[in-house]
Amino acid sequence: MKQFEYVIRDEVGIHARPAGLLAKKAKEFKSEITLEKGGKSAAASKLMAVMALGVKCGDRVSVTIKGDDEEAASAEMENFFRENL
Amino acid sequence: MKDKIFAVLQRIGRSFMLPIAILPIAGLLLGIGSSFTNPTTLDAYGLTGVIYEGGLLYTILDIMSETGNIVFANLPLLFAMGVAIGMAKKEKSTAALSAAVAYLIMNTAISVMISAYGGVEAMQENSTASVLGITTLQMGVFGGIIVGLGTAALHNRFYKIELPQVVSFFGGTRFVPIICSLVYLIVGIVMFYIWGFVQTGISGLGSLVLESGYAGTWIYGIIERALIPFGLHHVFYMPFWQTSVGGTAVIDGVTVSGAQNIFFAELASKSTEVFSVSATRFMSGKFPFMIFGLPAAAYAMYRTARPEKKKAVGGLLLSAALTSMITGITEPLEFTFLFVAPSMYAVHCVLAGLSYMLMHIFNVGVGMTFSGGLIDLTLFGILQGNAKTNWIWIVIIGLFYALIYYFVFYLMITKLNLKTPGREAEGEETKLYTRKDLNARNEALKANALTSVLILKGLGGKANISDIDCCATRLRVTVDDPSAADEALLKQSGASGVIRKGNGIQVVYGPRVSVIKSDLEDFMDSPDSDNIDKLLENVMSSSEAEKKLSESSGGSIKTISLAAHMNGTAIPLSQVEDEAFSSGALGDGAAIEPLEGKLYAPCDGTVETLFDTKHALSIRSDNGADILLHIGIDTVHLEGKFFTAHISDGDRVKTGELLISFDMDAIRKAGYKLTTPLIICNSDEFDDIALEAAGSISAGSSFLTITGKEQ
Repeated sequence: MKQFEYVIRDEVGIHARPAGLLAKKAKEFKSEITLEKGGKSAAASKLMAVMALGVKCGDRVSVTIKGDDEEAASAEMENFFRENL
Repeated sequence: MKDKIFAVLQRIGRSFMLPIAILPIAGLLLGIGSSFTNPTTLDAYGLTGVIYEGGLLYTILDIMSETGNIVFANLPLLFAMGVAIGMAKKEKSTAALSAAVAYLIMNTAISVMISAYGGVEAMQENSTASVLGITTLQMGVFGGIIVGLGTAALHNRFYKIELPQVVSFFGGTRFVPIICSLVYLIVGIVMFYIWGFVQTGISGLGSLVLESGYAGTWIYGIIERALIPFGLHHVFYMPFWQTSVGGTAVIDGVTVSGAQNIFFAELASKSTEVFSVSATRFMSGKFPFMIFGLPAAAYAMYRTARPEKKKAVGGLLLSAALTSMITGITEPLEFTFLFVAPSMYAVHCVLAGLSYMLMHIFNVGVGMTFSGGLIDLTLFGILQGNAKTNWIWIVIIGLFYALIYYFVFYLMITKLNLKTPGREAEGEETKLYTRKDLNARNEALKANALTSVLILKGLGGKANISDIDCCATRLRVTVDDPSAADEALLKQSGASGVIRKGNGIQVVYGPRVSVIKSDLEDFMDSPDSDNIDKLLENVMSSSEAEKKLSESSGGSIKTISLAAHMNGTAIPLSQVEDEAFSSGALGDGAAIEPLEGKLYAPCDGTVETLFDTKHALSIRSDNGADILLHIGIDTVHLEGKFFTAHISDGDRVKTGELLISFDMDAIRKAGYKLTTPLIICNSDEFDDIALEAAGSISAGSSFLTITGKEQ
């Protein structure tokens, strides 16, 4: 299991467009990727669930990656967050 | 090459179906109408008291006869247009118009040539006809077909032509009627010189027939049938029916020449004991194969049609068979197999010839007004009595003919795998599929489009291709970037080899390459070719879904209907000016350009998330679709200004319930577009999402249909 935390810098938070990109990215990996914010968690691959978290700019989210390709997934996801969120 | 000719013949055959569809009704009108307005018939049965010229019944029958006749008289024009429509690849309406123009031009050119060379009198007898008021050469449907084929060829070549700026108005489809007119003006002049020789040759055959007895009758029958597709049969049989070529007889002291004239003179004469077979041998042969043989052949075609096509084909074949049987008009039936299975038509000609000979041998003396159906058999055979006509032999031989036609046609169709109606390869015909018929669709998609998708993907996508051509066995492609081509994918598409030369790529498929090429070209013209990746994914996932479906041997297809979420104009997702939506990254769906600042629920369900900015919300529908509604483009930046929400998280909503209202003018003034997409976020759980509406739409009316496997 891998885990990292990230503070959202995108001014609109994880809204439709970034959420869509995130879900798409998350689907590329075999590992289960979970997003957690303020006690609520959501599978990163589920667009609706991600949006339901209502993540806004400045919020701290923790990302958990569990599965066969967790090493690679973790690295790529961190990159993705940094570039897009 | 052989395959190519065959494929073209098949397309011609199919293009005949449109004009042929009108023939059965026209045939019945003509057959019944003309039989009972024929003065000889009326005289013979003492019907002159009931049906007389000027009387109501006569006028009705006359209208039937004439309206039926006008269709047959203008069959060449109908074929010209029908073939052009059938053979044109795109913009078929232009091809139809061009064919009509070309047909008029060609015949008028011929007409002027005829007058210039001394008029009709200077021409060979029966070689001219009046077509649409134009005195022209008797060319029958052949004349129409050469116009149709030529027009389609010109059309397919020129309908996209670009002309220089000054005359650009005449470019594209408008150029087609223009070029067709010019070409057929010349064709008309050429035909005037050529057709005369053809006609002379045909009438020369006449003398051969007369000099060879029974065999001559057989040859007469074969030739008469074989000439029908070319419209030349009139030139051939008319001399037999109407002139001394067909014999001369003295009846009641009057000299009569021509087979049909002799028969009707004998019919009118009270002293006739037996009808002259030497005259009727040019007619009676039609009865056995028209009443018995051809309908049996139709039954064989019906039996060999694919089960799912039987119903559709049955209607066509039954009406064509009845027309042949009742009126003796055989074109509807003969044209259904003439082009798709010429070998069957050849067999038909031989059998028809034999029928004439057998009637001659068995001394059958039944004549006819114009063809050999039940109407004429009854009037001129049965009602005249067997003693005079020996009509019973028509029935006896006819029954054998039914068996022979049935078995010969059945065997030929199945052994040679002939593509008679209802046996066309899957997907060759435009097929309407119901959305629920999901498996059939996937089947078709896999069979046809998959090859094209693989090729396109293997060549590095549509944008990478600068030119496509093919030789006998290879697809020859010029690409912009040869490194983008993927040999593995190309081989997967069925290629046996891939040869690279600079920017040129040759993909070896064997002789079927021409079909592959035209499929590929058609596919590249379709909007599907712009997102091949998605299509490929769909095909793969649907085949996986199908596998799962068959494994669980249960699970039915479910359909979810979504109503329009706004009053406005429906637009496809791909036209939304925000790539996050138009790319389909968030899921499949469609959008509405609103006319009114109100967003309604598209289905019954639960509000999952209303965004704090109130410009978007997500709904989980009761039947499992995750729906995102997003008012406007980039409106997240408005931070909730101008939006009023009428619901909150977790609320139950009903279809048509008001969700959010917004100030359209204020949002527009702030510089944002109001296009509002409806996205199915869990699109990948479904097989198909289809936009049901285009243009103006009102909230609550049918908008999207989602189909998928029951979870």
